[in-house]
Amino acid sequence: MDTADDTTAPPASPTRWPAVQPWITLACRLGLAGVLLYAAVSKYPPALSIQAVEAYDLFPVEIAELIGYTLPLFEIALALLLLVGLATRFTGAVSALLMIAFIAGIVSAMARGLSIDCGCFGGGGQVDPGETSYGLSIARDIGFAALGAFIAIWPRSPFAVDRALGLFR
Amino acid sequence: MGSEARKRSRERLKEQRAKEKRAAQRKKTLLVVGVAAIVVVLIVGVGYAVLTADRRDSGFEGALPPQVLQEDGSVVLAEEGVEAPVVEVYADYQCPACRQFELLNGDTLKESAAEGEAIVHYRPVSIFAQQPAPISSNSLRAGAAARAAADAGVFVQYNDLLFENQPAEGQEGFTVAELQEWFREAGGTEEEAETFDARVEEEAEVVERFTQDYLPALTESAAEEIGEDTLGTMVLSDLISWGADHGHDPSFLEGTYTGEIIDATGTIYTRYSGDNMFRGTPAVYINGELLSNDTAMTVRGLTQAIAEADAGEVQTEPLGDGGEADTSQ
Repeated sequence: MDTADDTTAPPASPTRWPAVQPWITLACRLGLAGVLLYAAVSKYPPALSIQAVEAYDLFPVEIAELIGYTLPLFEIALALLLLVGLATRFTGAVSALLMIAFIAGIVSAMARGLSIDCGCFGGGGQVDPGETSYGLSIARDIGFAALGAFIAIWPRSPFAVDRALGLFR
Repeated sequence: MGSEARKRSRERLKEQRAKEKRAAQRKKTLLVVGVAAIVVVLIVGVGYAVLTADRRDSGFEGALPPQVLQEDGSVVLAEEGVEAPVVEVYADYQCPACRQFELLNGDTLKESAAEGEAIVHYRPVSIFAQQPAPISSNSLRAGAAARAAADAGVFVQYNDLLFENQPAEGQEGFTVAELQEWFREAGGTEEEAETFDARVEEEAEVVERFTQDYLPALTESAAEEIGEDTLGTMVLSDLISWGADHGHDPSFLEGTYTGEIIDATGTIYTRYSGDNMFRGTPAVYINGELLSNDTAMTVRGLTQAIAEADAGEVQTEPLGDGGEADTSQ
């Protein structure tokens, strides 16, 4: 009722935002879900994913193994939540935090002078010193973190379970 | 009084309703977040259980079948006279993915060999021989030591110990003292240990000379004379033969296990072609067919691939004149 004057308002950008934003959020959800799903699948089999974690030289063997097994699964879980739009705001925030954790890992590898592949999308482990691509990996992760942040700030979007439940209408 | 009081009570009611609405919304949010968290825990938990289901919780404790040392320094582990698929394993002792393979499927291989389901052909290589030390020196020292352990018939046990104790990449490891200690752990007798110790010390000197003096000098003059680009595509053993004609005498490698593992590494690049081409370690072949990572690096995948393969022939000859070949023509 109180939005009835929308139609009469001049088509300035502030009033277009409420109409456009849900679709941007939907695009972010689908994009980030796709990225996470691809990242998870490309890390299979776990033996190689463990090796990619070990290459960071940050965790004891047992923890690296646990991360190697569970990180891809966690990525799948986040991707599914984003796809169906459940707890959208929180899933977006957690995804963004995960990306920030990845960035921290890459920066630490860089700072310690390791020459490894980030193992973001499979692969991982030692590479020739001239073949590292830390900058690209970090830039990519910043982009993904931005998608997650957008979702967390503006969680309202169509085709979401949240909406059916009466959240973020 | 009428309208004033009514207005106030209406406002109070409105406030009350808004408060309730907010509380309900908060409850709903909490519920949804809770459900989402449960979804995450379920996926991670069930997934973890499924992925680790095929891992053995206890190692293979049974008796190992005979280990037959081959002419090229590789080792065949198989029951005598058995007809089974040949599983070739190419691995570098400094390669982390090889360590993962060994930790995951080392026992699968031993068990398959012990049960006569496979002929396991261990073919250690040193793909890191041209990397900067200590990656190169670790890799070569370990490879040479494994070959020396094969002389005493404890290659498979020693192979396990090397992977278990793999140094982090870029860190000095596989020291002579460690290599000697592990030989005893692998089951080498005191008498054998004397020969082994001396051999490992000799090899360590060869490795030192190779990685510190010989290879840097050879690489430098090759880069000057044939160019970095061609050099980059050259297999180490080819580079060494080039060096032999250009003032870099490789004769100090002759008869050493260090030289042997470099030779063994040189031949794998041309052994297989097409889809089966050797690209890096670990490489696992069944009857000459390269397994994908999904197959080789999962217990289920490897077990299944072995079960489905036909019997094969070992492509190398046993060392020595014993004539007790485990595959008869």
